[in-house]
This record gives sequence, structure tokens and C-alpha cells, in this order.
Amino acid sequence: MRPRPEQGGRPQPGPVHRLRAAQPGHGTVHLVHPGALAAEVHRNLADALPDGDGLTVLDLSGLPAYFEAALTGGRADTTVQALAERLVAELELAPGDTLVGWSFGGVVAQAMVELLPADRRPRELVLLDSIAPTEGYQQPDEALDAPLLLGWFGMYLGAKRGRPVPLDPARLAGCGTEDGLLLVLDAAVAAGALLPDTSLPGLRKLYETYVDGLLRNNRLTAPYRPVPASVPLVLVTAERSLLPGDRTLGWQPLARHGLTVHSCPGDHYTMLTRPDAAALIAELVRPDRRPQR
Amino acid sequence: MTVVTASQAQQWLIEKIAHRVGVPESEIAPEQYFDELDLDSTEALILAGELENWLGFELGSTTLWYHPTIKDLAEFLAQESTVQQQAQVEGQHAATA
Repeated sequence: MRPRPEQGGRPQPGPVHRLRAAQPGHGTVHLVHPGALAAEVHRNLADALPDGDGLTVLDLSGLPAYFEAALTGGRADTTVQALAERLVAELELAPGDTLVGWSFGGVVAQAMVELLPADRRPRELVLLDSIAPTEGYQQPDEALDAPLLLGWFGMYLGAKRGRPVPLDPARLAGCGTEDGLLLVLDAAVAAGALLPDTSLPGLRKLYETYVDGLLRNNRLTAPYRPVPASVPLVLVTAERSLLPGDRTLGWQPLARHGLTVHSCPGDHYTMLTRPDAAALIAELVRPDRRPQR
Repeated sequence: MTVVTASQAQQWLIEKIAHRVGVPESEIAPEQYFDELDLDSTEALILAGELENWLGFELGSTTLWYHPTIKDLAEFLAQESTVQQQAQVEGQHAATA
């Protein structure tokens, strides 16, 4: 919603959210977040980090050109490169700090690494269930069919409301948007994720906005041509990833300094909120206090 | 398509918002900003979809952005429903001319 008038209103938040400040002698995890869920969703990760370490979220939805595209049909008047440049300008990466990107945030985070001078780059880049911007993984909009999108939407809705929305993939297969949304509505109401009298038109509006956000990211990724990563890549896939069974999510061609893959509990969204996933991810992203040089 | 007055739209919004946030209608003031209400983004979008269904025309997803209180939005909806109905009537005349 629009910021209120300045008198009595709150300032509009930008992209930087310091969820936990680092104590002297400790480092900070910088996490690139693509919206969909509030930046606060990373609070569990902040709490799972060793005492004294900080966590700063760089939230792309704090950038109007990116955020508003999800409300206006999914076409953003920006590029991956421009988003990366904008966030690099906000990045206060000290030696030993780590850089992480979730989902589309991983694509932007990798572009950010390549914008940094060699002596300012992190020791590695950690990607949380992020699909690579590489051939075979850059999809036209038509490839995002209704059963796929509805399945992702069910995960998103469950994470957003803190109540899993179980959907049977076999029942979703072959569904169009309308009949699929009825399945989601029934499952979400039964799970307590939506009020019992939630209507199909209401759910449809939520779904369309969710899909516009996905299409925005898909369209930003499609023309983007990344350079290979100049640091090792560490990929954490969710047990119920966006692309189930795909081990590397397409990052291998960019991983000229190596790719390590880990799996964590949860789905694409709940991997950010589950304490067991947060504990695993915290181990992988903890800042290194040793001098880099 | 429904033509509504600002008062009707305001009452509809107050009723729906009170139900969604679980408070009596008397606790929802028309001058309140939507972000002051305990209405998260999921509920706000569901409400927008139900509003479109009631009115019979589509609202831009930025409508709540540009009309951030119940009163502002209700006045906009009253104007917009009249504009939409006029456009519909003119369209029907053009089609039959």
C-alpha cells in the first residue's frame, strides 16, 4: 500500500532490513530476498546464527521498479544487472561476511558477486533453492503451466499462513487454473489457512498476483546472460524444491570454482521458517571471522 | 455490473474487513489506513478479488495503494462504478448502431 502522508506517516522501507546487528568482532550474513514473503521470514535464520553474528536482508521488493511489477501484470522496467547494481550500492560486506540468495535472490546475488572487486568478494556464494539463469532453466512463460503454478501457489499459501496446504499432485495434473483453484481453496480452508467463507474470486486475485510475481522474475531471468561465478557456489535445495529431483537446479555451468549441494527439510518456502532447516542453513552461511588476506 | 454509492461501498468494506480481522464493525473507522488494520497482504488481495466480484469490474492491484483508507477507496469506487457503467452503456449503443 502507498505510504501514508509524511505527517504522522511512516517512512517507506527501502531494501535493507537489519534483522540482527553483528557484535564487535563478529560478521554479518547478507541475504538477497526476492519478496513474496516478508523479509522478517528470515528471523529464524538470524536466531540460529552463532551468538554475535548479524543478518541483513537485502529485499528486492523494497525497490519500486521490482515490487510494483508484481501488481501491474508482471513486467518490470529493470534488469537483473540493474537490480544487482542497486543492491551492491547498499551492500556493506566486510571481510569474512557471507552472501546468500534465496530463490530469484540467488540469481541477483550471483550478479552482485561479479560486480564486486576481487578483494571484496565473499569466500563463496550460498544459494537457497535458487534456479540458475542458465540454458534449459530459463523458461518461456508458457512453460509455467497451471498444475506447476498451482502446486507452487499451494506451498506459498501454506507458508504465508503458517499452515501447510496439502495438495495431491495427481489431482492437480491436468487441471486448468479454475478447477485447480477450487482444489486449492478446499485444501486451504480444510487446513485452516483461509477463512471458511473465502470465495473463489478472492483466492483468484491472490493467485494472479502471485503468478505475476513469478512471471516478473521469469521475464527478468530469460534475457539475462550471467558470467561464470568467480567464487565457489554452495547450493541448498529444499526437500520439496520448486524443481523436485533436480539436484543442481542448473548451477553447474556457472560453477567454475566448484559447486557443493546440500538438502534441507521443508519446501521452497518453509525452508525459511522451519527451525531444523534454519539450523542447517546457519551452519553453511555463518560468517568467517578469520582475516581473508 | 453494480453502480454503488460511496456510502454503500464504505459499508461493504467495513463489513468485510471487520469479518476478516474478527472485530465488531464499530471498531473499523473509515479514516483508518489499511496498513493500520490487522489485514495482511493475503487478506487484502482476497478482499480486492471479492470487491471486483461484487462490483463486476476489475480493479488494478495498485488501487489500495493509491486509495489507502476505507473512505478514500469508497469514494473512488463510487466514481469508478459510474464511469464503468457509462462506458458499458456507450459500448452497447455503439454495438447496436
